[in-house]
Amino acid sequence: MKFRLFPTLVLGLSTLVLNGADTVKIALTGPFTGGSAPMGASMRDGAKLAIAEINAAGGIQVGGKKMKIEVVERDDEAKNERGALIAQELASMGDLSGVIGTVNTGICLSGDKHLQEKGITKIICPAAGSASMTQWSKAGVKENSIFRFAAHDGIQAQMVVEEAINRKLLKVALMYDSTNYGVSGRDDMKDQIVKQGNKLQVVAEEKFNIGDKDMTAQMLKAKAGGAQAVLIWGIGPELAAVANAMAKIGLKVPLIGGWPLSMSNFIDNAGKNGNGTLMPQTFIEEPITPKAKSFIEGFHKTYKVDRIPSPVSAAQGYDAVYIFAAAVKQAGTTDTKQIKLALEDLKDPVKGVIATWVKPYTKWDPADVTTHEAFRREQTVMGMVQDGRVVFGNDADRQRLTKAAMSETKGQKAAPKAKKK
Amino acid sequence: MSRPAARFLLTRGPEFLAFLVLAGIPLAVTNPYALGLLTLLAIYGILLIGLDVTVGYLGQVNLAHVAFLGLGGYAAGLVVLKLNGGLAAALAAGTLVGFCFGGLLAFPALRLDGPQFALATLSFAALSTTALNELEALTGGAQGLSFSRPPLLGLPLTPPAFYWVCLLLFGLVWLAMRNLLASKWGRAFEALRDSPIATDAMGVGAYRHKVAAFALGSSLGGLAGALYALNFQYLQPQSFVYELMVILLLGVVLGGRKNLWGAFVGSCLVVLLPNLLSNRHLFQAISALGFIAALAAGIRGLLKRQVRPFQALAPVVSMGILVAGGLKVENTEDWRKAIFALMLFSVVVGLPEGLMGFLEGFLARLFHVDPPALPAPAPLDEVLPPRRAGEGVLLEVRDLRRHFGGVKAVDGISVGIRCGEIHGLIGPNGSGKSTLVNVISGLYAPGDGEILLRGQSLPRGSLFRVARAGVARTFQNLQLFGELSALGNVMVALEGSYGTPLPLVLLGLARAEERRAQAQALALLDLVGLADQARAKAKDLTYGAQRLLEIARALARRPELLILDEPAAGLSHPDVQRLLEILRRIHDRGVTMILIEHHMDVVSELCDRVTVLDGGKVIAEGLPDSIKRDPKVIEAYLGGLPEADAPAPA
Amino acid sequence: MPSVVVAQMVVSGALMGLVYALIAYGFQLTFASSRSINFGQGELVMVSAFVSLTLTLHGVPYWAMIPCGMLFGALMGLVIERTGVRLALEQKSEGWILMTIILGLFFFSGAENLWGRDDRPFPTPIPSDPIHILGVDVTPLELSVGVGVLAIMGLIETFKRRTLLGKALEAVSTDRDAAELMGISARKSIMLSYALSGAVAALAGILVSPITTVGPTMASALILKAFSVAVVAGLDSGFGVVLVGMFLGATESLASFYLGSGWREAPGLILLILALAVRPTGIFGKAVIRKV
Repeated sequence: MKFRLFPTLVLGLSTLVLNGADTVKIALTGPFTGGSAPMGASMRDGAKLAIAEINAAGGIQVGGKKMKIEVVERDDEAKNERGALIAQELASMGDLSGVIGTVNTGICLSGDKHLQEKGITKIICPAAGSASMTQWSKAGVKENSIFRFAAHDGIQAQMVVEEAINRKLLKVALMYDSTNYGVSGRDDMKDQIVKQGNKLQVVAEEKFNIGDKDMTAQMLKAKAGGAQAVLIWGIGPELAAVANAMAKIGLKVPLIGGWPLSMSNFIDNAGKNGNGTLMPQTFIEEPITPKAKSFIEGFHKTYKVDRIPSPVSAAQGYDAVYIFAAAVKQAGTTDTKQIKLALEDLKDPVKGVIATWVKPYTKWDPADVTTHEAFRREQTVMGMVQDGRVVFGNDADRQRLTKAAMSETKGQKAAPKAKKK
Repeated sequence: MSRPAARFLLTRGPEFLAFLVLAGIPLAVTNPYALGLLTLLAIYGILLIGLDVTVGYLGQVNLAHVAFLGLGGYAAGLVVLKLNGGLAAALAAGTLVGFCFGGLLAFPALRLDGPQFALATLSFAALSTTALNELEALTGGAQGLSFSRPPLLGLPLTPPAFYWVCLLLFGLVWLAMRNLLASKWGRAFEALRDSPIATDAMGVGAYRHKVAAFALGSSLGGLAGALYALNFQYLQPQSFVYELMVILLLGVVLGGRKNLWGAFVGSCLVVLLPNLLSNRHLFQAISALGFIAALAAGIRGLLKRQVRPFQALAPVVSMGILVAGGLKVENTEDWRKAIFALMLFSVVVGLPEGLMGFLEGFLARLFHVDPPALPAPAPLDEVLPPRRAGEGVLLEVRDLRRHFGGVKAVDGISVGIRCGEIHGLIGPNGSGKSTLVNVISGLYAPGDGEILLRGQSLPRGSLFRVARAGVARTFQNLQLFGELSALGNVMVALEGSYGTPLPLVLLGLARAEERRAQAQALALLDLVGLADQARAKAKDLTYGAQRLLEIARALARRPELLILDEPAAGLSHPDVQRLLEILRRIHDRGVTMILIEHHMDVVSELCDRVTVLDGGKVIAEGLPDSIKRDPKVIEAYLGGLPEADAPAPA
Repeated sequence: MPSVVVAQMVVSGALMGLVYALIAYGFQLTFASSRSINFGQGELVMVSAFVSLTLTLHGVPYWAMIPCGMLFGALMGLVIERTGVRLALEQKSEGWILMTIILGLFFFSGAENLWGRDDRPFPTPIPSDPIHILGVDVTPLELSVGVGVLAIMGLIETFKRRTLLGKALEAVSTDRDAAELMGISARKSIMLSYALSGAVAALAGILVSPITTVGPTMASALILKAFSVAVVAGLDSGFGVVLVGMFLGATESLASFYLGSGWREAPGLILLILALAVRPTGIFGKAVIRKV
């Protein structure tokens, strides 16, 4: 039996031994296998792209010397239990500068407390429902080392409801999957309907399970209620089954929902039935800016794909690494607690592929989770599925971002100047 | 060192040492990750011991265990969250919920076996996940349930303290299970797996023991669930799904079924496997070791001709794939399930007894430990008191009928068995002899008619209740408990020797009773001449010895009426002589017997009276000598040939 | 609720239920000859669908792809029989349950890594635009499933009754020992039944994929229901699975409509546990006589 324990100890100790003194050690976690792998793996690949760029340029300037980034990858398999164990492992490493990752809210709920206890800086990216941050305000945590880098469900639900109201619709059906993500999305949408003046009447509220293929019953209920739009919150390929069922029973109304509608498993499987579907996006795989162009091309080339499985996740993973690197540089140390302080007060703007980030985070305030949230309404746009790709849903967004990028390049030539927020 | 002391050290020493080492680790290592793994190790240990009860001892593939983990976990969580319960309340709630749901599922499910049982448990697991997901008001649905660990006696449960709690419970469960499995319960569980029919026929209710075993396993699942919940302090329904179930099965099977150490090793594997896979070099090293082991075992098995070529080759091929894959694949974690599958495949085919089963066999050869000496046989009079045969009719069968579709196997048979006689039952093949005794002994319910034992109606269609009423039987096609020793076979059937209530059994206070039962069983083995083979597994005995063992086992019921279904079938001549001798001795002790037999010499030598059946009807009855000359009997046997010689044995 | 809506759901559900019936039929084939079933049948459905998809993407026309896919399924059936089932059957143990689960796990992982974890569309020449029949919307695609299922089952049943090989299979199912004495090889019959079962599973995958898309997890929900159908109908019930399959499919649709869509799976599961409790041999199954 002592032999069985031996690997544990070796694994535990090896992490202590291995720590090269001259690297910044970052852990990337998320589901790299299983159902939500497209998000987790795209995030990981986007992040590794950024890390490769930084390392190719010699690393991060920490204090007096350049340090390369060393990556620790952990697959949480979208399982809470694995997530909790991984968090414990990371928390015990001692020389870890920070963690970037996690797709599933459940894993934030089961694992992040171990990181919080040790004050290890984590940037949640790319997704996770609201509960991943509100758990800290509920607990009244004073010093919070958990940050989020994702368009949180609150913003997305706000945009989805706005879109329905802008289209002057009155009756909507709510569809959501039975995961934590789907259920909390439903609650966010209902909140927003109330907040935005109760202009929408919910005529059907239907759930579907992971793995369901036949949504006829749910869509019939929506149709029977006279729904003018289907607002949907879900995470997997079941979304496509909804679009297909709508086409089958002749429910020709817009499908609007959370950002997973932009993933390939929806777009491909819904085919032409998916056209016109709307969802909030932080990044559209269109080379409208030079930075976006080089990112998209870099990703395609490195990972030998012609379409990013989840562009949003990849772009967020990429930007999160740059923001983290900026914090390391500013802190001038690999100490995770110093990095946390730097993150809360980033002096220089960080140029990312989604936007140029100016003071993305501020000092944690338990009463206001947005202090540790990077995304605001203006970094999000409405995307739309069009013939197998996600394009800008509103042309105004596209023009706004193009213009912003142009003025930035101009501004850079003249003098570096902060712009947004 | 004295032998008992050495034995104690060798058999119990490792357990004790392991426990001490495990308990000491948190004092030396403060790494929370290692502590987390150890805690999980203890929790999974309990879980797998519970699973082993059904998978190992009952031999059924149980796919619902993960549901008990979940239900127990939720019960504990809710007790803490909604009722503000303490640690003890949470653990009790988890165990109780596991017990109740286990019992609930067991009633319908355990009437089935094999694939149907697996499917029923699979459905139950799916249903419980659905329920946990849908009962949002109670369980929080997909959002999950968060709560914090309650204090123990007012002191906060820090991670090391919680680990000690888990380890202590694991140790207690280990001890209790060991005591239980060494008692009549453990024997009954094993008997069930080998032959549920014989278990019933020996007056040990197969069904009720199955339900008890399943409920026991499930309550351990619930207890593990409660600890799991308090460990993670967060629960979500989708944690408890089929994939985890497969991993648990992997743990039990890899570790070794019917083996507490197996459950422990399995739990180590389950907990450490993800770490193993995330380190590529470690994985390559281990897969190479596995390959070499498979190769060595395969060659050895083939040379010794112990295994079929497939059994030797398949593990080598599958470990070979594992090695090749380990060298080629970049990210081993992506192939996690395939790796599980290959490892499991190799073990199931190559080492059906699991790692620990194999290792124990190996260690047993290395350190030869004598088993504790058996007690001296009890006096036969104590085990099988001579009874006065009494007067009149013991068993009366009136106009009994049993039809299968159009076949009238028993068609209106009336027969009376007098106290103290040996009553022969003969007839050509298909004449209804076996069906008749199957109906009497309760295997089949009669279609019509009455069966009276001492004037009291005998239970119908229940082997178990007929056995309890004082009728014991042997089987034409042997129904021994192959995995149990000869001694164990007899001990299963020993009526009235066991009275210790379950809690005391769990505490290990049934030893004296065990010794007494051993002595009694030995007396019976002595009677049939098998005392020197008491420790041999029943399946390893010679055919003749197996036949005799069936008789000894039936006698352990202290029956009023003993039904022997072709005891001499397939025996050599000297064995038949031995059998005759033994049957006479049994008869001398006042046991009434029904003897189905084809050997006419056995019949004429032993039987007081004979009934002849043909086509489901009685065609003759009387003394053996007069039967031999009865023309109807001769016609039935010889198809109407006019020769008046004795009918040839069939 | 208007009766048209109910009718729509019953029809949609029942057509889906035919797929459950087809997979359940595959269980019956092997159960009849060997008292064993493949617990990894869902993975077999999935892998066959992926192979068929790959063939289609390489330009094999749809109608030529179907027999190829079924042939692949049959081969896989043989592989499962050889590696997972035969040894356990020879040892008269129930180890095959575990072995087929293990093989399923292996196929699953292989598919995940070879074809990716995403669900992919399955191109088909059969149109998916709904047609109206008596106020109910049905797509030709759904109808093709029904036609395909009934056709293959009819074909195999005819084969079993009309050909020598088929009769041998029946003989082994009825009484293995007697059949062996008559010179019929039980081993070959079991192999044949596994091959047929694999082909049937492959066809189920090909038929259902255009509707459900192809992905590693495509069959995990299907298979649970197919199990329910097989057991509720009885593992030796023949066409009983068709009725139970359609009934279950329709009940599911109605349950998700009236009870809430989360409870969709519940009727099948409850039905299964109830059926097992009340009539372990299934509604259309034959009673078993215990022998000693």
